[in-house]
Amino acid sequence: MSQNPIEEKNASKNTFKKIAEGFSHIAIGMGTVAMQSTRDPVSTTYPDEMPTLYPTSRHRLALNVNPLTGEHLCIACKQCEKVCPDQCITVIPDPTAKGKVQEFYIDQGLCMFCGLCTEVCPTDCIINTVDFEMSDYSREALVYDIKKLTLKRDESEFYFQFKGLDLPKVKVSPVAKAEAKVEV
Amino acid sequence: MNPTQELLSNPSHEVSDNLKTEEMVINMGPHHPATHGVLRLKLKLDGEYVREAVPVIGYLHRAIEKQGEQRNYFNYQVDIDRVDYLAGMHNNEAFSIAIEKLAGIEIPERAKYIRVICSELNRISSHLLWIGTCLIDMGAMMGFPFYPFRERDRILNFLEEISGQRMMFNFIRIGGVQRDPSAEWLKNVREFAANEFPSRAREYEAIATENPIFIGRMKGIGFLPPSVALDHNITGPSLRASGVNLDLRKTADYSVYSKFDFEVPTATDSDCYARYLCRVREMYQSAKIIVQAIDALPEGPISGKKILPGFKPPKGESYGAVESARGNLGVYVVSDGTSSPYRVRWHSPSFNAVSALPYMLTKGGPGETNLRISDVMACIASIDFIMPDVDR
Ligand code: SF4
Ligand code: SF4
Repeated sequence: MSQNPIEEKNASKNTFKKIAEGFSHIAIGMGTVAMQSTRDPVSTTYPDEMPTLYPTSRHRLALNVNPLTGEHLCIACKQCEKVCPDQCITVIPDPTAKGKVQEFYIDQGLCMFCGLCTEVCPTDCIINTVDFEMSDYSREALVYDIKKLTLKRDESEFYFQFKGLDLPKVKVSPVAKAEAKVEV
Repeated sequence: MNPTQELLSNPSHEVSDNLKTEEMVINMGPHHPATHGVLRLKLKLDGEYVREAVPVIGYLHRAIEKQGEQRNYFNYQVDIDRVDYLAGMHNNEAFSIAIEKLAGIEIPERAKYIRVICSELNRISSHLLWIGTCLIDMGAMMGFPFYPFRERDRILNFLEEISGQRMMFNFIRIGGVQRDPSAEWLKNVREFAANEFPSRAREYEAIATENPIFIGRMKGIGFLPPSVALDHNITGPSLRASGVNLDLRKTADYSVYSKFDFEVPTATDSDCYARYLCRVREMYQSAKIIVQAIDALPEGPISGKKILPGFKPPKGESYGAVESARGNLGVYVVSDGTSSPYRVRWHSPSFNAVSALPYMLTKGGPGETNLRISDVMACIASIDFIMPDVDR
């Protein structure tokens, strides 16, 4: 019982020819599949082998220190806090010293790794690292404080190089500046 | 005497007329591997035959439109990749075009070309995923459905390298693009689009296109005549498979597509197989566009105007539309002069595709017959919708 108009249309074709054609197409398909076994596997066996990550990759957030002096780069300008769409950043400036940060919280569980905070940061302090393995046992543990966020000096050096960021200018205190002028 | 006893007592095994049959309502989904997300289909079945189909949507609603009213223009850009997460570049592009129209921002030539390259890469990756899942739905579980994923992975690596993430790109921004691709990247993409991809795509065609089993499953079912497709506002490859040649890249010319030489594949059969052919052929054309765009890439800036969080477009309304991987994707933005939109409205092609399902499943069979339940898979697979795009 052929209800299919296309089947009916093709019914006039020689049945044997059709069968032969069908088998040949299946054989071509099978051959193509068999060909794949000669190729190298492309899967990345993840825990043993790390996937390729790029300088632009957006993963866990971290705070940079100046790779030259080890000074914390955050100037507590709160740009990142304002721009974050998920409001997962809290910056608490140091009440005693201007331009210094006292505490810095990021809720990495809320963060969607959009990277907007890293775009607006004037000192390249907040960056996306290439570390994506950050699972934890509780939600509270995903709220990182400044101690957990701040990178070590050599890590910062690596990221400055990896991402091709301009090295921060070494801050010269006004007194040192004045002394330098006097010498000239 | 119950029907079983009746059957047993009937030596000729003839089914008597008073055998009790009834139509049965079954729910396909929301957790069904073949519905590609959380679509629930209420099917009224008469044995194997589908008599009625009602799609139930809304399981993936994330209030993307409402979020637009609460975020400013700068922040909202990161949300919109999630409207259709398999083709995020198109979403970004549609929104950017709408805002650029509203604020009168001219974008530089180079940015337009980079947009074309990324959009077409994304179109290929979306179609590749579609081929893989479509074949899985057709029962081809022999490892082949994962070959398209290999090429898709290459594309996603390219897109990750340039944008930072594999699916939520946030790369096409209002006023231009986010960053300039390196010469190395362009070389690799050109090599991929010019040689590697077409040869691999020909392999899929060798396996699937002429395969008699595949043709048997796809051909002659799920008819969507041009008039019905237009009534339901179906767009994209699904409409072109019904013989209507409508492609915003050609007709609306929203970017620099008029400078490239490419065809818009169409078919006239308007069945599931025709939709498959349209999508496969479209991938070759996209690869062709990428090669031409990289060869003709002009020098210059990549961003006309840097948009900052405090960006305020003038009062007014505007509509931006692009040809996404699934069809005509549009976004309508109403601005009241503040830094967040007054209203954002997404027109998504998948919503229209789902609205045509009842017709396809009940009247799309060959001749007078209804479709069988196994054909439902082919119909759902062939029309290529994606649930986040439907529910938003
Ligand atoms: S990456 Fe995005 S969501 Fe995450 S902290 Fe930065 S701005 Fe917020
Ligand atoms: S934008 Fe940068 S410098 Fe400013 S508060 Fe955030 S991390 Fe610190």
